[in-house]
Amino acid sequence: MALALELDQVSRSYGAVVAVDSVSLDVEGGEFVTLLGPSGSGKTTTLRLIGGFERPNGGAISIAGRRVDHLPPYKRNTATIFQSGALFPHKTVAENIAYGLRMHAMNPSLIRERVGEALGIVQMGGFEERYPSQLSGGQKQRVALARSLALRPSLLLFDEPLSALDLSLRLQLRADIKRLHDELQFTAIYVTHDQSEAMAMSSRVAIMNCGRIEQVAPPQQIYNEPANEFVYSFIGESCCLPVRIDDGAARDQQGRPVDIRLAEPPSSGAWRLYLRPSRIRIGNEAHGCANTARGRVRFTEFLGDFNRYHLVAGGLEFFCDRAGERQYQIGEEVEAGWDTGDMKVFAA
Amino acid sequence: MTEAALAQSVGSGRLAGISVTVWRAAGIVFASFVTLYVLIPIGVTIAMSFNDGSFIRFPITSWSLRWYEGFFASTRWTQALANSLVIALGTTVISTVSGILAAWTFDRYNLPLKNVIYVLIMLPLFTPGVVLGLGIAIAFGGIEIGGWSFFGSRGSVVIAHSLWAMPLVFMLMEATFRTVDRRIIEASYDLGGRPVRTFFEIVLPMVSTGVISSALFAFVISLNEFVMALFLTSRGTQTLPVLMWLSLRSAGTPELAVTAVVLATAVFACMSLVMVWYVRQLRKLGR
Amino acid sequence: MSGAQQVTSAGHRDAMLARPAMKFERLVPWALVAPALVIALVFFGLPILNTLRMSFNLHVDQRVYVPGFTLDQYWMLVKNPIFSGSILTTVKLSLICAFSAVTIGYGFALLVWIGPPLWRVGFIGLALCPLLISEISIIFGWWMFFPKTGLLSHTLLSAGLIEDRFSLMYTEFAALVGLTYLTLPFSFFIILSILDGIDKRLLEASSDLGAGPLTTFREVMLPLTWPGMLVAFAHAFIWAMGTYATPSALGPDTLWTIGFLVQEQMLGRHNWPMASALAIVLVVGVASIMLLMRRLMARGGRFHD
Repeated sequence: MALALELDQVSRSYGAVVAVDSVSLDVEGGEFVTLLGPSGSGKTTTLRLIGGFERPNGGAISIAGRRVDHLPPYKRNTATIFQSGALFPHKTVAENIAYGLRMHAMNPSLIRERVGEALGIVQMGGFEERYPSQLSGGQKQRVALARSLALRPSLLLFDEPLSALDLSLRLQLRADIKRLHDELQFTAIYVTHDQSEAMAMSSRVAIMNCGRIEQVAPPQQIYNEPANEFVYSFIGESCCLPVRIDDGAARDQQGRPVDIRLAEPPSSGAWRLYLRPSRIRIGNEAHGCANTARGRVRFTEFLGDFNRYHLVAGGLEFFCDRAGERQYQIGEEVEAGWDTGDMKVFAA
Repeated sequence: MTEAALAQSVGSGRLAGISVTVWRAAGIVFASFVTLYVLIPIGVTIAMSFNDGSFIRFPITSWSLRWYEGFFASTRWTQALANSLVIALGTTVISTVSGILAAWTFDRYNLPLKNVIYVLIMLPLFTPGVVLGLGIAIAFGGIEIGGWSFFGSRGSVVIAHSLWAMPLVFMLMEATFRTVDRRIIEASYDLGGRPVRTFFEIVLPMVSTGVISSALFAFVISLNEFVMALFLTSRGTQTLPVLMWLSLRSAGTPELAVTAVVLATAVFACMSLVMVWYVRQLRKLGR
Repeated sequence: MSGAQQVTSAGHRDAMLARPAMKFERLVPWALVAPALVIALVFFGLPILNTLRMSFNLHVDQRVYVPGFTLDQYWMLVKNPIFSGSILTTVKLSLICAFSAVTIGYGFALLVWIGPPLWRVGFIGLALCPLLISEISIIFGWWMFFPKTGLLSHTLLSAGLIEDRFSLMYTEFAALVGLTYLTLPFSFFIILSILDGIDKRLLEASSDLGAGPLTTFREVMLPLTWPGMLVAFAHAFIWAMGTYATPSALGPDTLWTIGFLVQEQMLGRHNWPMASALAIVLVVGVASIMLLMRRLMARGGRFHD
């Protein structure tokens, strides 16, 4: 069976600015693939290329095995859910949902059936005659989702649909979209800059940076086996320790020795050590760790579920999180430790 | 009063006590002066239209509707009124359609020489009516197509009036289209709406307020304009303002006041219709 | 899935026709802009060029025009005091009119700006009136107000302020009153739109720093609003230059403006070349005002940055 979506070396540039730089991506039917990246990484442009709102400068885009690069949006079998919902303000909810079906010359009774069905799916039954201005932000997004689902497109495109909503609503809609995907098994491309959203919903995540895809993998793999330094630093919280190694001994960038002991020190040279703050142990718990560092507490932050201790060791600064009461005071010397598997080393 | 707000917010210094009173008085005087200035010709005209006498002379001693009866009984005046309305409607249609299409193009597409085209479309609006009237009369005065002569026809006036109305529609609609959320148009394309259907079913209803207002402006401009019409009409196609001008030059009677009132009534009736429509629209979408 | 199926098949056909579709696509904007462009080119560009050409034709033997090439008309504009005088009169009248329109418009806009919101609607409606009423009706209104038998004279006489009836009709003052009436709404709305963009708290800030109303006006309001005043002035000036009915109907018989002479030469004397030359002078005048305004605005922009 043909792939639901196939991007082959797709590029898009605006004058000298390259927004999308030969991106390739294969998506199977029923997959939920998220494009995740900082702003300006080309994720939205990629989505707009798939939807047909932009034309690529090079490469090929195929949807369900059919080349679509030069087709306008109204000839592509995709449906986009926009950030703002982009509902037609002068049409009722029912008219909004019926619009796409009418454009495809469906017969009226079938349209009515589909509209009702779509509203049921997004739990918006009874809102048929409302105008968009009478809906809340979350309701608008539900209607937008229903409008796209009603068309039964071969590809659903989400353009940061939740970013304009407040936190509780965002979590609720996130769960709803996930549930709908499990039930209906549609194929979705989802653009976001919110990693927790990406991690929670996706079957695979594509990390984008500077117009390129850095890594495509299931969420767990992205988190545990980042392909490169960018992915590691972008996903989750991390501390970066820029060090110089001379014959197994660590120094800071100014060349002063620091009290860091590594079980398997890399060869001599400049390196960046990355650690997850949640995986660093501190104080007594650090005893017996393969890797340790001694530092002084510079300041602490109370962050609800845990305390965050900011430590200085020579010219290096890092932080670690620990649940429970605050145990260490400012200025106190403490030991921090971590397992070799929790550390990533990248050449500087 | 109004100036008091300024004085209060500004003159909190030593002279505040005196300034508030002085500024307030100045404000009232000035506001009354402007109000009077604007209302004098209007009030005089309305009063004179109900005069029973045959001459324009104050004080008015007796009142009647006889000049109104005279106006609607005279085929010369009613013919001119009809001409005015037909020309104004023609101008509205031509300038609204061409202005909206051009504004839409400027909003959605890239054209070479966009700036030149922009200036070319806008320039007629800043050209005096005498120049436009003269130019068209000279350039197209001799044109005849199968016995129908362009000069003196209502069509020639419609075209001339469109030179003012079209740029105005273009300007207003360009600003209006800029307020339309691009995503909504993209959503329509995305759902399978082709450009033409999207334009009529999504874009136009969204900017309907702008469309109606600019059509109203076009209508009013054409209805009131008389310099170009003076150059381009013949006896049978004279508009109301042209006939008024010619009558004023020969002899002014209260009949002219009636004409002025009728002309203004036509304008304000259109405005009221638009207002009613606008309020209904608000009630439908808002609430 | 019938809808989706249809899209697929239609899309496939179009994919194969992609190339001609692209070419057609490039013509779409031209087709859309065509009606406006045709109106502008054929009924504005062509007549203006034609008028320019006409202004160089000969006018002999009382014929409307004789094809040829002469600078006679333009030479006449300089030499003949009737024409040179009319140019001066027009400029002078327009300058005074623009000045009073901007002054009154500014004051009124300021009043509306700081006044209570309830007044705002009423005053804006009031300012709209002159825009919505035909120039000819306004002329007629003043025509009934100024003469000996008019309302002004009658009112003053009844109030006992004057001894005998008097007339202000056919004076330059009456012409100016009429012209300013026509241009006032433009300057009012232009200046009001500028004022609406100003944060009213600036006034409070200025008074907090100890400035009186006049100082505040000079130091805060004037620098912020002068570009708007300039635009309003230019608009009023251009508009006043182009009108001919108001000055000729309300002013004295000797008050000949360019617009009046265009009409007189064209419809009265059937001298097309002369009428054209006068029209060209008018166009050049309007164009140079607009260019001058742009230059001044550009300089102002630099100052503000």
